[in-house]
Amino acid sequence: MSGVLVVVEQRGGAWNRMSFETLAAGQQLAAKLGTGCSAAVLAASAASLLPELSSKKLQKVFAVEHDLLAQYTADVYVASLEQLIRREQAAFVLFPHTYQVRDYAPALATRFKQVLISDVIAFRASGDSGSPVFVRQLMQGKLNADYHQTGAGPCFVSIQAGTFHADTLEPGNAPTETFTPQLAADQIRTKPGEPFRESSQTVDLSAAPVIVSVGRGIGEQDNLPVVEELAQALGAELAASRPICDNGWLPMERQVGSSGQTVSPKLYVAVGISGAIQHLIGMKGSKSVLAINKDENAPIFEIADYGVVGDLFEIVPELTKAVRAAKGSA
Amino acid sequence: MIAGRLPSTAVLHTLAGMVLPSAQSDFGVSGSLAEPGTFNSIEIAALTLGILLSAALFFWRFSPILRNILRSKKDPNYKLSPISGRAWTFFSEVLCQSKVIRQRPLPGLAHAFVFWGFLAFALVSLNHIALGFGLGFLSPTGILGRFYFFFAAAWALLVAVSITGLFIRRFFVRPVWLGEKLSYESGVIALLIFLLMVSYLGAFFVRDGSIAVRLLWWTHTLTLLVFLPLIPHTKHLHLVLSPVTVFLKNDGYAKIPPLAGDEDFGLVAGKDLTRINSLQTYSCVECGRCTEHCPAATTGKVLNPKEIILGLRSYLNEFGPHSDIPLLTESRIASPDNPPAKYLSMEAAFECTTCGSCEFQCPVGIQHVPVLIGLRRGATNTGTWEDDYGTKLFLALEKNGNALGLSALERDKFIQKQGFPIFDGTQDYCLWLGCMGSYDPKGREIIADFARVMQHLGTSFGVLKKEKCTGDPARRLGNDLVFQNLAEAGLKSFEAAKVKKIVTICPHCVRTIATDWREFGIAPQIEHHSEFMARHRDKLPRQDGESIVYHDPCYLGRYRHVYEEPRSVVKQAGTLVEAPRSHERSFCCGAGGGLAFLGEEKGERVSHVRARELAGTGAEVVGTACPFCNTMFRDALTAVSERPPQLLDIAQLTARALPASQPAANLPPESGGAQ
Amino acid sequence: MKIVVAIKQVPERDAPIRIAADGRWIEEGDLNYTINEPDAYALEEALQLKEKQGAGEVIVVSAGPERVQSTLREALAKGADRAIHIECDDLGSRDTLGVAQTLAEAIKAESPDLILTGLQSDDLGLGQTGVVLAELLGIPHATIIMHIEPADGSLKVKRELEDGWFQHVEMPVPALLTIQSGGNKLRYATLMGIKKAKTKELKTVPAAVAAASPAVALERVYLPEKQKKTEMLTGSPQEIAAKIVEKLKFEVRAI
Repeated sequence: MSGVLVVVEQRGGAWNRMSFETLAAGQQLAAKLGTGCSAAVLAASAASLLPELSSKKLQKVFAVEHDLLAQYTADVYVASLEQLIRREQAAFVLFPHTYQVRDYAPALATRFKQVLISDVIAFRASGDSGSPVFVRQLMQGKLNADYHQTGAGPCFVSIQAGTFHADTLEPGNAPTETFTPQLAADQIRTKPGEPFRESSQTVDLSAAPVIVSVGRGIGEQDNLPVVEELAQALGAELAASRPICDNGWLPMERQVGSSGQTVSPKLYVAVGISGAIQHLIGMKGSKSVLAINKDENAPIFEIADYGVVGDLFEIVPELTKAVRAAKGSA
Repeated sequence: MIAGRLPSTAVLHTLAGMVLPSAQSDFGVSGSLAEPGTFNSIEIAALTLGILLSAALFFWRFSPILRNILRSKKDPNYKLSPISGRAWTFFSEVLCQSKVIRQRPLPGLAHAFVFWGFLAFALVSLNHIALGFGLGFLSPTGILGRFYFFFAAAWALLVAVSITGLFIRRFFVRPVWLGEKLSYESGVIALLIFLLMVSYLGAFFVRDGSIAVRLLWWTHTLTLLVFLPLIPHTKHLHLVLSPVTVFLKNDGYAKIPPLAGDEDFGLVAGKDLTRINSLQTYSCVECGRCTEHCPAATTGKVLNPKEIILGLRSYLNEFGPHSDIPLLTESRIASPDNPPAKYLSMEAAFECTTCGSCEFQCPVGIQHVPVLIGLRRGATNTGTWEDDYGTKLFLALEKNGNALGLSALERDKFIQKQGFPIFDGTQDYCLWLGCMGSYDPKGREIIADFARVMQHLGTSFGVLKKEKCTGDPARRLGNDLVFQNLAEAGLKSFEAAKVKKIVTICPHCVRTIATDWREFGIAPQIEHHSEFMARHRDKLPRQDGESIVYHDPCYLGRYRHVYEEPRSVVKQAGTLVEAPRSHERSFCCGAGGGLAFLGEEKGERVSHVRARELAGTGAEVVGTACPFCNTMFRDALTAVSERPPQLLDIAQLTARALPASQPAANLPPESGGAQ
Repeated sequence: MKIVVAIKQVPERDAPIRIAADGRWIEEGDLNYTINEPDAYALEEALQLKEKQGAGEVIVVSAGPERVQSTLREALAKGADRAIHIECDDLGSRDTLGVAQTLAEAIKAESPDLILTGLQSDDLGLGQTGVVLAELLGIPHATIIMHIEPADGSLKVKRELEDGWFQHVEMPVPALLTIQSGGNKLRYATLMGIKKAKTKELKTVPAAVAAASPAVALERVYLPEKQKKTEMLTGSPQEIAAKIVEKLKFEVRAI
C-alpha cells in the first residue's frame, strides 16, 4: 500500500477551487512521506478538466469516467472511488472538505472499515505512533486535537478550506489514465435534481455571506452612497444599526440587532457603528468582523477581528477602490 | 312601574300638592325634617311590594355574578392574615378614599363626597324606609335626630353638588379615559343620586304630614328602589363589591403567585381564574385610571388594562368560571372557532411592560399585573405563545444563562479587565453585575463606576465567578420553567459562595432576587446601589450647578418604594429637577416585562414619549438608576431632541467627581480573573 | 411516519476549556451538558413533520452515560413521544464507526421510516455519524438538508450546496437525513412539556459490544496558539485599504 491520492471536485465541468488547495496538501504530505501524489477526478467526461490537472507535479491523474457520473450521487461516487482505491491501493486518500465530500466520504471510508479524519487543518509527518498526525479543531475552534490512524487500510482525510494555499502547488507534467468503474443504474437509490439558486425578492440578511453595515457615524443620509459603493464592490448586502433605520435612511428590514435581524455572515463590515449591545446581539455570530470607527474605545472593537481607527470618509472610498481592483484582477 | 301601583287618589293628591296654589300651606321652613305621618295599609302594601320587587331584581341580577365569583377556583395559598394590614388598607383606600383623591384630586374629591355622603345617609335611608312601616327610630325633633338629619343634609348638599360636577365632567368635559362611548347608565345613576338628595333636602322645606312631604317621601323611596336593582347591572356594582375587593386583595404589589400543582400553568382558560380574580373583574368601575397611566395604551398599542379586566368579565359572563375555552387567542377576529377573541388578545397581553401603573392607580383594588402575567404564563407555559424574539430570548436564557445570548466568557473577560475580585466570603458585599452590567457596554460603565464609588467609600466587595440571569424577563413573560431553573441556580450560587449581602445596579435584579425567588428559597439580603449610596451620601463628593432630572424606574419606585434615596444621590451631584410625572406616577421607559427583548413596538415608542418628557424639563442631565432605562433612553433622547441632555446613571453622576484612576479592585487581576 | 432522531449530548458552547491531566480530553468536572444544537434542529424538523402529517411517532435516541437522560427528557418535553438511552460509558473511546454501530443496533430494532440527525456535533465536529449510520443500515441518505417533503413511500428533500446553491433530491424510505442548522425555528421548552414528559417512556438499552479496535485515535488535545484578538490596522488610508484587502483575500476569503 502506498501513495497519496487526492480526489478533486468539479461540478458541471467547473472546478471547486478548494480542489487545488487539497492537491497542495497532497503534494506536501507525499513529500513528507517520501511517496508520490496522484489525483482523481470523477465526471461523465473529464477531458476539458485534465490539462489543468496534469500541469501539476503529480504521479498520475485518474479520469474516473462513466455516464452515471454525469450528476453527483453518493451511491456512484462511493462505488467508483471504492473500485479505484482498491485497485490503486492508496495509503492516503485526501479530499477537500466540501459539502459534497461530507455527503459521501464517510460512507466510502466505512466500506473500508475506516473512519474519515475530517476537516483537517494541518499534519505532521510522524507522531508518537509513527504514522502521520492530522490536526483537527474541536469545540468550534477552541481546541485543537491530533488524530492518527490506528487501523490498517487506506487513511481518509478531508482538508479544511483555506488551510493550504493553491499557489504553493508545484507544477509538473502528469500522465493521465482513464478509469472506468463498474456501475449500474439500479445502484443509484437517490434521484438528484438540477442545482438552483433561490430568487430572493425580500432582503434576507440572515443568508447573506457578506454584510456591510452602517451606523450613526455616517452622519447624514446623503453620505450613504459611500458605504453603498463598498457593499456593491464586495457583493455584500447593506445593513444598518437601529438609529439609521429609525431615521428612515434605510428600511427597517435592513436593521441588524435585537429588534432587527440576527445575522451570521462570513464577513461583517461595521462602518461607523459603535457597538451598542442591541447591535452586538444581532451580529455576534459573524465569522469575521471588520470595524471602522473613529472612536478607538468603541465597544465594536472588542469583538472585531480587524479594526481600523479613523475617518470612515477617508478609509471607505479607498477600500472600495482596492476591493474593486482586487476583484478585477482575480 | 311601582308608581302604577299607587292608589289613584294618592297620586292626584300628590300632583295637586305640587301644582296647586291651595297646597301652598304645605310649604314652610320648619327647622326640622318633615315626616309624612302614618301610612295607610294600601301604601304599606305598595311599599312592601316595592321593596320585595326591588330586592328580587337586585338579586336576580347579582346572583349570577356572585355565583361566578364563588364558583371560581379557590385561591391557593390565600391567607387573610394579617388582618391589621387589610384593615389599614380598607381604612385608607375605602373609608378615606386616599387613592381616589390623591391620583385625581378634583373628581376624586367629588367622588369622596358622594361616598361619604352615602355613608352618612345609610342611617337616614334605614330610618326612611322604617318610617313607612311606622318604625322610624330617628326623631326629627329629638336632639340626636335633629343633629343627625342636619348632618346628613350637609352631606346631601355636598353629594348633590359633587354628582352634578361629575355629571358635567362625564357628559360635557368627557375625558378620554372614560371611554369613547358615553355611558347613559351613568347618567341615569347620577340623576337618581341627585333625586335622592333633592328629595331628602326638600323635606326640610315642607310641613309635617302635608301631601308634599308624602310626595317627597315616595319620590325618595321610589328612587331608592329603582337604584338598587341598577347596581348589579352597571359598573356601580363597585358600590357593593369594591370595599370587599380592597379588603380581600392579594398581598403585595404586582406579586406573581406561585403555580399550584401539576395542572396549573397560569391563566389558560376560565377554569384557572381564582375567586379573587373574578371578584376584581366584577369590581371594575371603568374609571380608566389604569388606561390613562398605561404606557402601552397611551402609545397606540392594542393593550388597554381596563379592557383586559372587562374582557375577563365578559368572558365570565359568557363562558363561566369552569370553561376550558382559552382566555387568549392569537387572532382578534371572533369566529365560531374563536369565540372569546373579542375579549382578550395574545398581542395585548404581550405588550405589557409590567410597569404596574394600572395596579397602583386602581381605586377599587384590582391587581392587573398578576392577571396580565397570569395570561402570559398560560400562553408561554403551554407553548401557545409563538414569537420569534420571545423564543430567541428563552433559548438564550436556557443555553447561555443571559438574556443577551452572549457567551459567559465575555463576562469573564470583563471582570478580568476590571480587576474585580471574586467574592470569597471575606468582603462586605457581593456585587451582582446582572446581564446589563456583565455584557452591555453602557451597563459595564455603570458597574465600573459604582465599583469606584464603593472603593472610595472603603467598602470591600467581590463578584461571583459565574452569574446567570435572575430570570426576570422569563418571569415577566410567563416562562416558569426557565425562571425556576435560573432562580434555583442563582440561589445555589449565592449559597455556595456564602453571600450575605448583595448590592447591584439593576432594579429588576433586585426585585426578582428579593421577591420572585422567594418561591424557591431565601436569597441573601439585596439592595439597589441607590440605597447603598444614599446611606453614604455624606461621604460622596458634593458637586454644584448642573440640573439633573431624575427618572424613577418602575422596579425601583412603585415596586420597591425607593424614591428618596436616588434623589439624595442626585442632589449631591447637582440640582434635582422633577419630571412632570415622577415618584409613583413615573412613566415607564418601555423596557420592562421582557419587552426590551421583543423587537419593535407598535405605535409610538414608549421610550420616546418619556424621553421627550425628560428632555422637556430643560435639565442638562437625565439621571437614571436602571441600566434598562438607560439603554432605552440612549437612543430615544437623541431621536427626540436636537441637543439631547447627557444621560448618566446615579453611579456615574457620583463617580465622575471622584479622584481619577483609582483601580477598581483591591486584589490583583490574577486572583480576580476568570475561571 | 415513524421517525428516529439521533441526538448527541455535548458540552455547552460556553464550556470552560481546560485540558485534562492525561492530555487526551478536557476536564469534564466543570462541564454542563446540553443537546447538540444541530440535533435540536433535527428534532424540530421531526416534530414539525409529525405535526404537519397529524400522525406518526418521534423517537429520540442517544448514546452515552447516564447524564444523557436529561437531554432525552428535554427532547420529550419538546414533543418527542419516546426516548431510548443507549447506555455507554466509553463513548469517547469509540470512533465514528464504533458510535454509529451502537446507534445502528438500537435503531434497527425500531425499523423507522426516517432517521434524522444534525449535520455535525458541536464538540467533535466530525460530521459523519449520520452518513456512516446510513451506510451500516444499508439505506440511502442525504446531507445538509433544509426541508423535507414526504410523499407516499418516498421523500423529496432540499439539500444545501455551497455558495447559495440548492438541489432537490428524491429518495425512497427508509432513509437517513442530516439536518442543516437554522432551517427551522427552534421551539422553547415549556413547563407543560416538562410535566408531560414525566409520563413518557424512556427506555435504557445496553450498547452493542465495542468494535475490536477503533480505526482512528485521538492522540492529544491542546489549546490553539492563536487566540482571537482584534488586529488593528494602521497607516495611511491607502495602506489600510491594501491591508484590509489582503486580509479579506487570504484570511477571511471573502474576495
